Amino acid sequence: MKFIDTPKDRWHALGGEDGPPVSINPDPYLLLDLAQWHAVRATWPAGVPVGLKLANDVDVEEVADDLGRFELVALHFPKRVDGRAYSQARLLRSRYRFKGEVRATGEVLVDMLPLLARTGFDAVVLRADQSRDAAERALGFFPGHYQGDVADNRPLFARPSGTPARLVRDFDDAFVQQGASI
Amino acid sequence: MYQYTEFDRRFVHQRAAQYRDQLERNLAGRLSDDEFRPLRLQNGWYVQRHAPMLRIAVPYGEISARQLRQLGRIAREYDRGYGHFTTRQNLQFNWIPLDKSADVMDLLAEVDMHGIQTSGNCIRNITSDALAGVAPDEVVDPRPYIEILRQWSTLHPEFAFLPRKFKIAVTGATEDRAAIGWHDIGLQMVRNAAGETGFKVWVGGGMGRTPIIGTLVREFLPWQQILVFIEAIVRVYNRYGRRDNMYKARIKILVKAEGQKFVDAVNTEFGHILNDDVDGGAHTITQAEFDRVQASFVLPPGVSEAGAPVAAPKSDASPAYARWLQRNVHGHRLPGYRAVTLSLKRASLPPGDITADQMDEAAAIAERYSHGELRVTHDQNLLLPWVRESDLPALWEDARAATFATPNIGLITDMIACPGGDFCGLANARSIPVAADITERFSDLDELYDIGDIDLHISGCINSCGHHHSGHIGILGVDKDGKEWYQVSLGGSDGSTLSGTAVPGKVIGPSFAAEEVADAVEAVIETYRRQRAANERFIDTVRRVGIDPFKAPANAVRRSTAHAA
Repeated sequence: MKFIDTPKDRWHALGGEDGPPVSINPDPYLLLDLAQWHAVRATWPAGVPVGLKLANDVDVEEVADDLGRFELVALHFPKRVDGRAYSQARLLRSRYRFKGEVRATGEVLVDMLPLLARTGFDAVVLRADQSRDAAERALGFFPGHYQGDVADNRPLFARPSGTPARLVRDFDDAFVQQGASI
Repeated sequence: MYQYTEFDRRFVHQRAAQYRDQLERNLAGRLSDDEFRPLRLQNGWYVQRHAPMLRIAVPYGEISARQLRQLGRIAREYDRGYGHFTTRQNLQFNWIPLDKSADVMDLLAEVDMHGIQTSGNCIRNITSDALAGVAPDEVVDPRPYIEILRQWSTLHPEFAFLPRKFKIAVTGATEDRAAIGWHDIGLQMVRNAAGETGFKVWVGGGMGRTPIIGTLVREFLPWQQILVFIEAIVRVYNRYGRRDNMYKARIKILVKAEGQKFVDAVNTEFGHILNDDVDGGAHTITQAEFDRVQASFVLPPGVSEAGAPVAAPKSDASPAYARWLQRNVHGHRLPGYRAVTLSLKRASLPPGDITADQMDEAAAIAERYSHGELRVTHDQNLLLPWVRESDLPALWEDARAATFATPNIGLITDMIACPGGDFCGLANARSIPVAADITERFSDLDELYDIGDIDLHISGCINSCGHHHSGHIGILGVDKDGKEWYQVSLGGSDGSTLSGTAVPGKVIGPSFAAEEVADAVEAVIETYRRQRAANERFIDTVRRVGIDPFKAPANAVRRSTAHAA
């Protein structure tokens, strides 16, 4: 999982947030919303990296034909309990074989990390007050799961024999104890 | 019963460790109460009126004597000595301090138990027929399939934050004892003409403010595809279910609004998963996996398909014993065996409540007479699935001594009731005093038997945890001007043969005051006794004559609400 340090991030939105699609110069690493992308998709030069940010009520099917042109798709969590972007990410990876970065933005909290990782996100912009150490730690509680995910869609029962036994391990006490100190 | 593998066992311990970590961050001020809330909910921890409530999963109602003893220990050491069984076959505690909650999760994990997904907007604990595996009318034993579903739904990463909670019920019998029409997904196991096993699938049933019966979306789904088909249903719901209004967020609203378009979307999604996704058929259940899980659901040691010698009923049986045989003892698929309900409906305790000592006693009885296995029933009793007919007299004595032998199963005092306003933070009104009034009013066994089969369901609010919509008599607590009032409805059905096609009951008039409810119920019952044809059961009379003849007698009992009627 990549943790985005926003000041150092090379991706940037068009001047001002979500402005109306006026004239857009094809600068590298622009992160466009859907309306902006539609305004430039006919003329955007090949080879200039461009990213797309999608609201969580947009059907990813709508942009399926363009996915090969994006290096990054940013999916949004307007609220931590709104789980639509998990399905969007899953579809991007499993159905449309999107190979670029899938980034979580919005209200992204430490305890969402296991869900994000398993549905296809490989980058997160944590909410400003969240601890990166705690987020990395949150990824460490489960060596294995029952159902498949985007990394390997085979459920536990369909994995090679011996897999469950290999996934059985105890935490060391240090890992369990360090929680509140992070 | 399902036997945990080493993986399963480590998994619940890992979940307990994860929960402890979250709790400690919360107590240390690094995780706000608001942000901790959905995390604790998905482990069964609510914050209620007096203290946190813990809802413990009892998957499809199967519980061992060892597990029940551990619950008794938790009741004794961490709660105030009792618990409450729910209509979703779970157990709730009401008095455990939150700072002890992680310790309790560790104790549960010791006996292969947990609170995973017993609350929150996720796929909840899956319920079933309490007689699964022993019912004489069973077509397919649903338990291995439900266990596979349980594992698949456990910590599913895509479906942890759905628009609203999501409840699945499964039956494998011809009689629906799981109220499947009232669930977000209802599954009935069937065999097709070729003798193959599959599922009949309903979607979009539910209670609450808008009671709706599920829509049949698939007549026959081969069993191997059930995980993929449910993935398709839940994904369509996760994407398109309403999130702007929590009262319209259940899948029933989506199904009702979209109709055939919803069904088409599910079928399209199902096809996409299988045909287009990377390794999309991976969740097709293999015969090897089915066999592995089914191996846990074989007959207990010493029990064979041939059954046991059929024991003739005692010729000198007392009337009390005969009544218990009639109401609390049920048919079994094996000759010489019976399923026996331990009634948790007695005057001394609220419906479904059980003390720590009684948990120990029920565990001991299960070990003595039922190979250490019990079931939690949908109507908040315990059931012993493996009782030899020859043991019935001794079991009756032991059950009586432990207060489990009230011979009232299926009768008016075998009522369903939620904890209500005495405990629940959502409730508008109390359920327990109303249940106690009605239990006291109908304490005469002769009268109880004369009234006969009747489902009486009480909910303390419109969230309908007490299933008032599906009661032949439904009682709903409502709040007006800060006072408790109760709506009475008649003619609801859970979908069983006795009750008829699942349907919500109809309200008979303005709300009653708390002290009028038992009188109103009595007036309804008296009207039934006057109106009934020979051998006609309550629900049949209501269906034949409608609710109008009940209105005037019920209104006549009003005192404080006399002006309303």
